[in-house]
Amino acid sequence: MDAFTNFLNGTIALFSDPVGILIFLGGVIGGMLFGAIPGVSMLTLAAILLPFTAHLSAEHGIMLFSVIYCTGVYGGAITAILFNIPGAPENAPTAFDGYPMTLNGQAGKAVGAAVMCSALGGTISAVIMMAATAPIADWAISAFGPPEIFALVFFGLAVAASVGAKTLWKGWLSILAGLMIAVVGLDPVGGIARYDFGMPYLLAGIHFIPTILGFFAVSEIFVQAEKKVTGVYEAPELHVDFPSLSELIAHKIAVLRSIVIGFFCGILPGIGATLAAFMGYNEAVRWSKDRKAFGKGKLEGVISSETANNAATGAAMIPLLALGLPGGALTAMMVGVFQMHDMEPGPLVFINSPDLVWVVFAAMFFANLSILFIGVLETKTIINLLRIPFQFLAPMILLLATVGAYAVRGLVIDVVVMFVAGAMGFFLRRSGYSVAGIVLGLILGKIGEQTFAQAMQMLHFEWLGFFDRPIALTLLIAGVLTTLGSAYTAFFKKHHH
Amino acid sequence: MGKLRPGHFIEVGLWLALAAVLYVYSFDFERNIEIYKFGATAWPRAIILLMVVAALGQLLYHWKDGDEATSGTLGAASDDGSEEAARRTGHTSLRWYVSTLTLLVIPFAYMRVPGWAAEVFALDDGGLHAAKLICAAVLILVYLALTWRNHVGGILALPIFFAALLEDMGFYATAPLFIVGVMFLMGERRPKWMAIVAALIMGILLFLFVSVLYVGLPTGNVHPFYDFSHWLVTLIQ
Repeated sequence: MDAFTNFLNGTIALFSDPVGILIFLGGVIGGMLFGAIPGVSMLTLAAILLPFTAHLSAEHGIMLFSVIYCTGVYGGAITAILFNIPGAPENAPTAFDGYPMTLNGQAGKAVGAAVMCSALGGTISAVIMMAATAPIADWAISAFGPPEIFALVFFGLAVAASVGAKTLWKGWLSILAGLMIAVVGLDPVGGIARYDFGMPYLLAGIHFIPTILGFFAVSEIFVQAEKKVTGVYEAPELHVDFPSLSELIAHKIAVLRSIVIGFFCGILPGIGATLAAFMGYNEAVRWSKDRKAFGKGKLEGVISSETANNAATGAAMIPLLALGLPGGALTAMMVGVFQMHDMEPGPLVFINSPDLVWVVFAAMFFANLSILFIGVLETKTIINLLRIPFQFLAPMILLLATVGAYAVRGLVIDVVVMFVAGAMGFFLRRSGYSVAGIVLGLILGKIGEQTFAQAMQMLHFEWLGFFDRPIALTLLIAGVLTTLGSAYTAFFKKHHH
Repeated sequence: MGKLRPGHFIEVGLWLALAAVLYVYSFDFERNIEIYKFGATAWPRAIILLMVVAALGQLLYHWKDGDEATSGTLGAASDDGSEEAARRTGHTSLRWYVSTLTLLVIPFAYMRVPGWAAEVFALDDGGLHAAKLICAAVLILVYLALTWRNHVGGILALPIFFAALLEDMGFYATAPLFIVGVMFLMGERRPKWMAIVAALIMGILLFLFVSVLYVGLPTGNVHPFYDFSHWLVTLIQ
């Protein structure tokens, strides 16, 4: 058991390092808190912390983000169940049945189920991740050249565009806007300045940290502020008690199904945990004999969606670490952490810094386990913290973002860019665009263009060269089919109401 | 006309205008790269083309289906209530957009006007600083007048205004006002609580970043703000 030895070494390294333990615990609690507080999400926390990871080692930075990822996905379930406000899109299906359960007076049972299923789904996913990532990375080193990586970027963006926004077109416009932001600055092949308009600031390219902070942390505050000003925002009362174990065991099939679904969705670049939660929920409905009970407070609905979204967290690390491609907003920020330490995520990480990989893996495993303990012990404390009025929280988050954006390069203009991105994000969100799509486009834009250029040089500018590379061809076709498929759905199928 | 509304044309029009501007400016960097025959323009132009296609697709979609979300997307579920909030409050009217846009322009006026004034009247450093102070004061009044009837627009513009003032006025003097401003716009009206929270947030931030992490925050360069920042930093450290 090679992976097992590595895991043990990672565990020892993690828990023998006092700073590491501190960061681990901070990440676990912070992720859960920010996931749970209505109006902010784990992405807000991650965005605020991103600039400061420059002060941490790469190992600690990535570890912190992966821990926030695991516990944040759980934290979002609390607000989805109690207030019908999903902490993040991946918790949205949890609210379908979780909130009706709260209305039926079963809030405690729903939260308890979310705790146990998140921990279970996440832990099992972490185990599979540990076993599978290294072999996939090994394979990727030989099988993946620039054409394959470009094809994978294309496929990931196509999936994200097709499911991420209100319509297929808005999904694509979000992605394209992100890709366009990435174009500003020097081109990756010839070093020619693009869209710099004579300004040295633009010549260096728009930095991704202020942009990410603006689109996630700041625009989130603006959206909540509008609700607050207009009285749509309200924080309800609540209390918690836990379900019995036998009730959970009765749903073992739902749990297993969601783990499998969650894991496979998580591997897909594009939208990971969100798609996982929706598919987990949809399949639970489809397989059920009692379909009509869903949406009215059925425990199985909460179980299916919460197991699936946490099962996707471990899986999402596989494309990031094995191929260097982020699947979602949070993994995109992890690419940012790598870049700040002059590293590139990808298969070579396994060769160059195996310690980092295994500390991160061990941390994810224990973060998921700790959901169980902290979830059971601390949920009531968290609920009390939720009573902090949002108007006190908002200036704190905005100022933390200000300091963060400024600290990156010591430029006030970065702060301006962040707040402008925040205002743009506010308008885009209101109109049904996807800010996650923009950030994914921004992060993948440079990789996409660079690998495209390399691929074209490799194939001597012959488009047909892709036909000699089965993996690349398959991915490109899959991307095109995803787009065409959702275009077809958009034009010929019935719509939501 | 199907289900099209004027708002749909404006939205799609903005995308097409953006694409047009980006296309025109792409000629600025149309140069050959010896090792790469597509050059520096191929990638951005492909993005621009797709942008036009997607914008037209969106127009067609609005024409057929109005404002509904596509089935199979997460649009309906990931909807964080922001659209609903906007609809309920009339924050979709043209008047609201004009007022908000004006508010958003204010910070940029501050970033440009004193510089122009210094050029036109050949001001020295002292004159430039005076111009900055006067300009800031005037723009704050304009901001307050517009925000009076448009709190949401005020919240959107306030952080940008704050950021624009950072360079000259510094973080230490402007941040407490910023905190109070955000709280007030979000409906907090109790002076005691505003003072406590502002002091608490400043305390945490200054302790964390100035005493522990030694992150240098902008001190400003205009008298008396610079002197205030300097005094405070010495006090904390």
